[in-house]
Amino acid sequence: MKNNTVFRLALSRLRYQKSRTLLIGIAVMLTTMLLMAIGTVSVALLDLNRQMYSGINHHAVFSGLTCDQVNILSQHINVEALSVTEPFADIVNGKMNGALVYLETVKDEQFADKSKPFNSLELESGHYPQGENEICSSPLFFRRVGAEPVIGGKVTLSFRVNGKGEIRTEEFTISGLEPDVEISEKIDDSRLMWSAHVSKALLSKYEQAGLYEPLPNAALRVYGEEALTLDEMTDRIHSVAGDIGLDEAHVVFNNEYLFTATDPGSERIAIVAMISLIVIFFSALVIYSIYYVGVITDVQEIGKLKALGASRRQIAGMFLWQGVIVSVFAIPLGLLIGFLLPRFLFPLALRAYGNGSAISSYSRDAVDAVIGQIHMFSPSVLLAAALAALITVAVSLRKPIRLAKRGSPMEAIRYQENSSDHKVRKGHREVKVASLTFANLTRNKRRTAVTVLTMGLSCVFFICVSAVLSSISVEDMARRSIPKGDFRISLNYSHHDREYPENNLDSLVQQEYFNDAFLSQLLSIEGVESVEREHGKILSSTDRESAMYDDYENRLPISYFTREDVAELNANLAQGSIDYDRMTANNEIVCTHVYSFEQYDLSLGETYSLTLHDGSREIPFTATLTALTTPDSSFPLLIMTEDTWNSLELTCDPTTAVYLYVDDACYDSVKEALEKLVAENEHFSLYSLDVEMAIGRSGIGLVRTPIYLLVVLIGVISFINLINTMITSIVTRKKELGILQALGLSGRQLVRMLAGEGLVFTAGTLVISLTLGNAAGYLLYRYAKKEHFMSISRYHYPLWETAGLVLVLIGWQLLITLFIRKKMEKESLIERIRNQE
Amino acid sequence: MKKQTDIILKTEDLCKYYGSGDNLVKAADHINLQIRQGEFISIVGKSGSGKSTLLHMLGALDNPTSGKVFLDGEDISSFKEDALSKIRRRKIGFIFQSYNLIPSLNVWENIVLPLGLDGRPLDEAFIHDIVKMLGLSDKIKNLPNTLSGGQQQRCAIARAIAAKPSLILADEPTGNLDTKTGDDVMALLKASAKKYGQTLVVITHNEEIAQMADRTVTLADGRILSSTESEVVSDEE
Repeated sequence: MKNNTVFRLALSRLRYQKSRTLLIGIAVMLTTMLLMAIGTVSVALLDLNRQMYSGINHHAVFSGLTCDQVNILSQHINVEALSVTEPFADIVNGKMNGALVYLETVKDEQFADKSKPFNSLELESGHYPQGENEICSSPLFFRRVGAEPVIGGKVTLSFRVNGKGEIRTEEFTISGLEPDVEISEKIDDSRLMWSAHVSKALLSKYEQAGLYEPLPNAALRVYGEEALTLDEMTDRIHSVAGDIGLDEAHVVFNNEYLFTATDPGSERIAIVAMISLIVIFFSALVIYSIYYVGVITDVQEIGKLKALGASRRQIAGMFLWQGVIVSVFAIPLGLLIGFLLPRFLFPLALRAYGNGSAISSYSRDAVDAVIGQIHMFSPSVLLAAALAALITVAVSLRKPIRLAKRGSPMEAIRYQENSSDHKVRKGHREVKVASLTFANLTRNKRRTAVTVLTMGLSCVFFICVSAVLSSISVEDMARRSIPKGDFRISLNYSHHDREYPENNLDSLVQQEYFNDAFLSQLLSIEGVESVEREHGKILSSTDRESAMYDDYENRLPISYFTREDVAELNANLAQGSIDYDRMTANNEIVCTHVYSFEQYDLSLGETYSLTLHDGSREIPFTATLTALTTPDSSFPLLIMTEDTWNSLELTCDPTTAVYLYVDDACYDSVKEALEKLVAENEHFSLYSLDVEMAIGRSGIGLVRTPIYLLVVLIGVISFINLINTMITSIVTRKKELGILQALGLSGRQLVRMLAGEGLVFTAGTLVISLTLGNAAGYLLYRYAKKEHFMSISRYHYPLWETAGLVLVLIGWQLLITLFIRKKMEKESLIERIRNQE
Repeated sequence: MKKQTDIILKTEDLCKYYGSGDNLVKAADHINLQIRQGEFISIVGKSGSGKSTLLHMLGALDNPTSGKVFLDGEDISSFKEDALSKIRRRKIGFIFQSYNLIPSLNVWENIVLPLGLDGRPLDEAFIHDIVKMLGLSDKIKNLPNTLSGGQQQRCAIARAIAAKPSLILADEPTGNLDTKTGDDVMALLKASAKKYGQTLVVITHNEEIAQMADRTVTLADGRILSSTESEVVSDEE
């Protein structure tokens, strides 16, 4: 009976404080929704990833194997499945990049069908090559090489076995067709990597004739995918590689697959837990701040109840019931909306991506099929979200309950917010609207701080993720191929082709393809504004033993850097030091690639006696390696200073590429003219910005749009919470504002006062989000770059997102103020003054 | 009777109704009242007789259902909210039963608040004079919640007088105070009103206070029951 009274008291209090109940309900609902939406989108992203990589289900690739090592692998107790790829030959067909490969499933405990390698696509029709001259690839490949893509059709291909030696030509019969891919016509063959499958019989034929040397790669799965964590799987793969004596550098993990297929490792659990904790902390702060803002009336009422004889337990029970009643409505609603929102928006985001992409290995139908199958619902996410929301409500309720437990009834009745803080206030001689604003903000510094912190943290989240997302730049990716201008014409050259030496760089430079006449011809195309030569390159060789030079057939291109480049090189310095004048004086050179530096065991201070190949002229050149750097711009592996380069007094033109800047309006016509021009010279390749952007977009993958969705969701929810906080702080001061109006505060002054408060909140929010948010954003960017997330390479300040945030904050602040004023006008002044009396 | 021009406040058929039909409550029912400049009027009546409603309409805090309120000859019942707020801060000083001080401002700031809102220059000597008279000199930096009820009400009185309004409206100013403090506060209020030539309208339940007034208006069911001039006008303060 007694408890019944407490329950009814709680219920009537909720009804009485309608607007506050509603605000708290909305906050709890939004928090639950945020947690649920984040969980749901994460589950969906993981599942999407799993589906995207389901066809590529190997755990790792071992490269540069011998046939013996393959044999050991196939017998290895930990290897579940093994497929061997032999890159047989490079296709020679105009400017096409392509390879003929042989694929064989050596061991497969998973799939009964041995005719289809475990690690590849299921054929649309036909079978994988068996006969000597059989071939299989995608229909698009056959169309691009001028053959009709039908089973039994004939196609003639030229190729160089092992990528060297004489060009050979064979006629093949199409034995199978892979599923078709959609690739935009505007993407040039030279920018794609094609492959076609050939048979073991063909390889044997060439091997017996002494023309083919097998260099197999192996894709493998190890046992334990179901049971082991990512770390344990990685360890197991390493130990398999160790067992066959394979160097770590030749092991490439299929991280995308491993990441989704294995149990999360401890590190991943820690990261997810940390993000969840941040979200929960921030949500708790929002709910807490709303409770906190209205706590005075609570305390006063507690006093009255105590005076009437309510026990502490009953009072705590009343608050608890209030929390329970609000939660019962708000949490399930939040869970429902938090699930439904991503359920509808996620597929929309994916389709939007599908439409915007110029090149995609996934056709529209495939995207639709994937969308239809995405698994989004996870009971553990639901439970975790509900539990977290309940905990935040419980934590937020502690403040009034704690206050309820101490002090006499009269103390509580007469409770004023700042009763314990201050007795006197220095104050001002005169009171203006601004002093009212200020007084109100400083009255309870803790409340002001909590409000600003809550609002700030919501925005920190937004800014932080935006920093990473804005650094996912399609242009950055495109700029790797075209560092400057709109087009790049570059020379295709070999380093040291013994059969076709006319294709080597030292021969090509003697042709002076990029002479002034050619540049004038480029400039004469209507719309071309300027043409710029790329830094020249010449080949170098060495007599000394060098793994690095061996890998490149003893010919490595070498180039130079200018004084202007020093800043960028120094900014990314990994070892040593770069001083232009010192380096010029001592013939010093810089290595620009950390991976090669480590792979070839290079060390600073090492001296190389090189021969530089200026056409047929040979220049002896002794240089010392003194610095290692990783610039964002592309440089050849080794570079010297421009002055050293000039002192070589080259007789040939070492230019291997030119950049063209064109008028935007003439872009298409210039491109057409350049395509014609480039087609006339078999050594030229054309890179155009639009195509590189399209390729970049496809590299970003399906994942970016859903992440954007998540950020927008967080932004919107934080924002609603922010409005919530503001409205609460004003609603609970209705009486005080009424008194001020009774004393003669005009409507305009009221707006000015509230706007002033809002402005301080806004400014505080901005300061927090721009300092903390940007710092956290930069750290997250560094982490993302380290993890090669979305090919991020350069930090982009989230300018638009920041500007948007500032505008939205200020705009809404004003709107809220006006809204409050309108709302107040509905109630007469005297009603407001009497409020709560 | 003084001259007609001395009338500072006048109501014509002032009505305030709440609800409708059977639930219709006539909080003010055709009230016609004239108050002279410098007059001290007490309004008495039982709970629910419409005292506060009348006072709120006189002070432009509430809108009448019908009828007019003339302040200094102007019909304020037709004024817009912004014009009313100007009237409130220039011509009217309010004293509430529950003091209604602004908790974030100290005593001094509370007192000068109406002046600040009006953008008027501060007559510091005058304010100090009031503060001294009301015995708040050593409390001006205190926040309201550190004051006793009597001190808070004295602060509210100082606030009502500071802007030199022609009219002071007080709704049971001593209702929350003990008898001794209540008497002191009332005496102070009356003295300061007299000193600065202000008209004083006080709602009260307290017979003694009613006796202090020049005239006592008795309300019942929203109507004026009687309006009697006091026989003895106390002049001792």
